[in-house]
Amino acid sequence: MSCDFPWRPPLAQDWSERLADIEAVLADGREPDYVALKTLANQQLGMREQLRIERLAKKLQKAALPNSAFAPVTIGLLGSRTLSYLPGPLAAAGLARGLTISSVEAHYDSVASYAFSPADCFGRPLDALLVVLDESAFASKRPMLDQAAENEALADAENLVTALAAAAQEKSGCRAIFATLPGALQVSSAELATPGTSARFRHRLNLMLAEGAMEGRWLLWDQAALASRVGLENWLDPVRYHAAKIPFSVDVCPLAADNIAALLAAMKGKAARGLILDLDNTLWGGVIGDDGLAGIRLGQNSPEGEAFVAFQNFVLSLRDRGIVLAVCSKNTDEIAREPFRNHTEMVIEEDHVAVFQANWSDKATNIKTIAETLSLGLESFAFIDDNAAERERVRQELPLVSTIEIGDDPSFYIERIAQSGLFDHLPLNKEDISRAESYGGRAAAAEIRAKIGNYDDYLTSLEMRMTIDPFDDAGRSRITQLINKSNQFNLTTRRYGEEDVRKMQDDPELMGWQVRLDDKFAQHGMIGVVIVRKDGAEWAIDTWLQSCRVLERGVEQCVMNSLFETAAQAGIQKIHSRYIPTDRNGMVSDFYSRLGFAVVDENDDGSVTYSCGVTDYEPHQTFIDVSLPK
Amino acid sequence: MSEQQAILDKVTDIIRDLFDEYHGPVTMETTADDVEQWDSLSHVRLMVMIEVELGVHFSTSEMQSFKNLGDLVNAAAKQSG
Repeated sequence: MSCDFPWRPPLAQDWSERLADIEAVLADGREPDYVALKTLANQQLGMREQLRIERLAKKLQKAALPNSAFAPVTIGLLGSRTLSYLPGPLAAAGLARGLTISSVEAHYDSVASYAFSPADCFGRPLDALLVVLDESAFASKRPMLDQAAENEALADAENLVTALAAAAQEKSGCRAIFATLPGALQVSSAELATPGTSARFRHRLNLMLAEGAMEGRWLLWDQAALASRVGLENWLDPVRYHAAKIPFSVDVCPLAADNIAALLAAMKGKAARGLILDLDNTLWGGVIGDDGLAGIRLGQNSPEGEAFVAFQNFVLSLRDRGIVLAVCSKNTDEIAREPFRNHTEMVIEEDHVAVFQANWSDKATNIKTIAETLSLGLESFAFIDDNAAERERVRQELPLVSTIEIGDDPSFYIERIAQSGLFDHLPLNKEDISRAESYGGRAAAAEIRAKIGNYDDYLTSLEMRMTIDPFDDAGRSRITQLINKSNQFNLTTRRYGEEDVRKMQDDPELMGWQVRLDDKFAQHGMIGVVIVRKDGAEWAIDTWLQSCRVLERGVEQCVMNSLFETAAQAGIQKIHSRYIPTDRNGMVSDFYSRLGFAVVDENDDGSVTYSCGVTDYEPHQTFIDVSLPK
Repeated sequence: MSEQQAILDKVTDIIRDLFDEYHGPVTMETTADDVEQWDSLSHVRLMVMIEVELGVHFSTSEMQSFKNLGDLVNAAAKQSG
């Protein structure tokens, strides 16, 4: 039965004692060590350990302690069967991925009423609504061989799904996530070619759901893919389907929950953004320093070599999705680069690697350097190394880095990484795709910076161009993504959904700016969002956030200059602003002071309000060509 | 120790794990009514844990016929014996 978690590290020998420590702290009403908790939840749990983690997650939710380490997610569960077996495993799976997931279940059989009546079975806003339908939700008859009836049933299904997505937006203020339907048991080999069969209907329904997700109408949870991974016989439990109305087996609930948690993590910007790779026996077989270019196994000469080529192709496909690549290897730099330069079977090129750390320092130190060079947090990285001892070291030293239990057989590397769900993502947009380029450009820029020395010369040499536009349809999905993902360079951390952002577009009391930046190395795409609320002759900055991809470039100075210029033209007298501290945004605590605002008030909740007269503002020196909205 | 007793011991372990707030006795006569945490939801989970732990599988009709733990233990014993 494959419902364990092979990509997670094995269960620690003292797991039980370590969890007991956390249980005791929690029973005491104190805040537990969240990193330690995440580490314990993210291991190959057996049934009993799973039970204990679920129980602990429940207590953690009840205790309602201030928890700044984990991102809270409230998810609604709506199904044509009971989903009562998901909340426990979901909470447990969340802990392993840095989320606290609380579930709100709809009453049994409320799909139609939620979709079509004014009734709201949740009665509270949600971060996401998971909808798991099975064929019983689609009542239309589908007589065998009747293509017209099948089409009609599918149209009905699309109506229901569309109504549910609209209800999620209106009633719960969130996006709907639809589960694809697992395959049906086959009577014949012609099921897909026979109108009216269950198999054919599910297949078409899944495609319809996929198209809708591509158009941004909802999100997908690919239950069908997961069911085929574990096998339909394992996924379904006919006895309990009839006895307890469960859509899939209780045994697979932890796995299903983890799969859903990966999706929620991606929604919350907690998915991995970078992949750090060891070289010897990870990208090729053998040790380049010992075996030499002719001796390493890569490509045609061996089955093992083919497996490494396949793995390299897979790594490049991750890069195509916007994942930034880095190398961390105990090697002499020149020798480590040799296969990249001179081995004909090498798929990954030096240019694909944003940061190349080959030296004899320990890996934890090198990984920290990589994270700093790319200005990403350690929790944004997954680390791949065939050597179990190195993995263990990195897990101990840097528990925030996701060290995947990759094993030592290259044929399984791809499977483990895919299963981990660490690189789960929502339907991609163009910005995502160009991100890896942008990171690569940034690392190149860091190298030039080291060479140039004079920072102003360096900034000038970047030939930066900024474009500021009002909120629009084209920018909306990236604007929403930034609003919900930016934690560090975010002055107020106010989250708005896509629908809120759409409303802002037409709101005359409000000015939304999307800021894009290009330089000679890369198109960084949208790197900033500013929302200003207008109140007569005074404006207030509701939201100011920037991507950490482009720090120390004078971006904020340039945008602030533009804001005051625009305000002056509009005859505005004063601009108000506020800094609301969180555990993540310390880097901008002195942001407004640096930019020329004066403190008005330090509030009890720790927030600070500022203001600056429009005529008092002194523009900052910048090195960016900017084009303002008309 | 009889086979029934050995199975009951294993089942008792699982029940202690799953229903951590119940400290009463676990016998062949124990039913869901005796244990407050034992509701229809946790019942399914209990059955799954027992099946996995004992390496048995109960049929739809067997599941329906269990009146107390004794019935369950006897059904399991029949399969492993």
